[in-house]
Amino acid sequence: MRKVFPVLLILLAPVLAQTPLEKLRTALDRLRGPAHQAVYALWVERPGQSKLYRLKVYTDGERVHLRVLEPKAEAGQAYLSLGQDLYLYDPRLGRTLRLPPTGRSERFLGSDLTYQDLMGRDLEELFQVAEERGVLVLSPKPGAATPYGRVEVHLKEGLVERVLYFDQRGQAVRELRLGAYQRLDGAYLPREMELKDLLRPGYRTRLEVSEVQVGGVPERCFHPLYLERGC
Amino acid sequence: MSLLRLAWRSVLRQRRRTALLSLVVVYVTVATLFLLGFLDGYGESLVEAYAEYVEAPVAVAQEAWWADPDPEHGLKSLPTLAHPLVQAVSPRLSVYALLRSPYRLEGGLVLGVDPEGEKGLSRVPAKVAEGRWLRARGEVVLGQRLAERLDVRVGERLVVETGKAALGLEVVGLVRAGVSNVDFFGVYLHLEDAQALTGALATHLAVKVPRGREGAVAQALSRTLPPGLQAKGVWDLMGPIRADYEGSRLLYIPLLGLFMLLAAIAVVSTTYVSVRERLREFAVAESLGLTPWRLAGQVALEAALASGVGLVLGLLLGYALLWYTSTHDVFGPLMRMSVELLPESGLSEHLYTALRPAYALYAAGVVGLSALLALLFPGRLVLALEVPRYLKEG
Repeated sequence: MRKVFPVLLILLAPVLAQTPLEKLRTALDRLRGPAHQAVYALWVERPGQSKLYRLKVYTDGERVHLRVLEPKAEAGQAYLSLGQDLYLYDPRLGRTLRLPPTGRSERFLGSDLTYQDLMGRDLEELFQVAEERGVLVLSPKPGAATPYGRVEVHLKEGLVERVLYFDQRGQAVRELRLGAYQRLDGAYLPREMELKDLLRPGYRTRLEVSEVQVGGVPERCFHPLYLERGC
Repeated sequence: MSLLRLAWRSVLRQRRRTALLSLVVVYVTVATLFLLGFLDGYGESLVEAYAEYVEAPVAVAQEAWWADPDPEHGLKSLPTLAHPLVQAVSPRLSVYALLRSPYRLEGGLVLGVDPEGEKGLSRVPAKVAEGRWLRARGEVVLGQRLAERLDVRVGERLVVETGKAALGLEVVGLVRAGVSNVDFFGVYLHLEDAQALTGALATHLAVKVPRGREGAVAQALSRTLPPGLQAKGVWDLMGPIRADYEGSRLLYIPLLGLFMLLAAIAVVSTTYVSVRERLREFAVAESLGLTPWRLAGQVALEAALASGVGLVLGLLLGYALLWYTSTHDVFGPLMRMSVELLPESGLSEHLYTALRPAYALYAAGVVGLSALLALLFPGRLVLALEVPRYLKEG
């Protein structure tokens, strides 16, 4: 039996090995983290200036409720992402607005991040995945709704460590780095995130996750009504 | 005839005065011709830009779409247009969309067109400066300046997103039409792609009709279209630039009238002085048998002749100027600057003045006005002439 098991393992290896697409899918699944609430600190850096946002985030891994705590001028703004539906509550207007799906590709709070970066599945849906020297190389499917010509996803132990976006001329234009993964309740949560605009020096967005409380988030948090009332 | 000869001799006798008067009339005539030609040329360039590039000579859509141009208010089926002046018809689907390149995100109006149908209707397909016009689905043609802003090139992919769907389209051509809306904001894609992005069939029908008949055909079509549909001519399809054009006319045409009145007053005031100096001469003429009304007529004729000389010279100069500016792109630099300042206006980079014989009639108004005023003021001096007093003074 002892001799048979390694042989069996070698024979089954091609079957058990994950395809590049499966690797990507698994890595993206892990990126979502467990159900939790936390405080996210978001630094939006521009040449010669930096702005800090503190956000309270509630998520069940699929849906996200996000409230701006600081700066004071923007406190009370709240966002809710329910799959393709995106809602925004603006306290100055006193109204909850449903944003069109195009809103998902817009920059978040004036940062370099988009909703897609935070919670999207575009990499999986719009690209064909191959693997080159341990790096997942994504090229757009024909007619895919992405402006990028190529995306490289660097994994470390199955977790996304770096995503590099290239334009259609082969030039790297955006770089997303994820790190300080914490294993929580059987899932992983990247506690640091950095996004750089490679075409504009000094344009950078950093995200740090703190005060994490793993566990069920009340269902009401994912209802648009509670954007105004608070979760 | 003798009255004309007498008047002509008086005009020629005071050559310097006549020359000065004519100069005023020349100036006003040239200004009148030029301003009318410029305004008409501006109007024609707007009509051409909107009929041939930005919109269409006539467009047919649901009344609800005219009120709120959302694809949801688009056409449910394509109506048949029966009018002898309709030369071509093509469906279009316009929708606001986000355009995303790796470098920039920009919102704009996207026009879904039938690539072949559009060729018979618009000049845009013929103005592709780089690449080619649309042939199939999955392609997009952009205005050159928009492509520069988005930093996309022919052969690259551009993402077009609406509230309902998103498509990655290959840029196959860049348009350089010399019309601001097209070059700065033009996005043309296959009608079927626009349908996939919106779920609508078409928002309107673009209709080609002969130049100058747009309004009449639109009215005639509106009467025969099924309920809920309405046709609009090119003037009704223009944006705020139409108000600018109409405002210019409202401002400049009364101003021209004022110019002409001032010129006529200048002629008449000089004639008045001339008549005052020649009162004895008129008294002698009256004593020899000429009636006061004939003498007053002579005064009016003198004013008309003096301004007539200026009119003839002014017409020659004015039409020469109009001919030159209607055949040479004199206003190109000015228009290009306007296009840069007002890219959403639909202005063309070229403006040629119009040249119409009717302008001569308007300009001749100064002659008529001079004669009329001369009859009213210096003429009254002659009518009230006390012949014995002037004869005694002699």
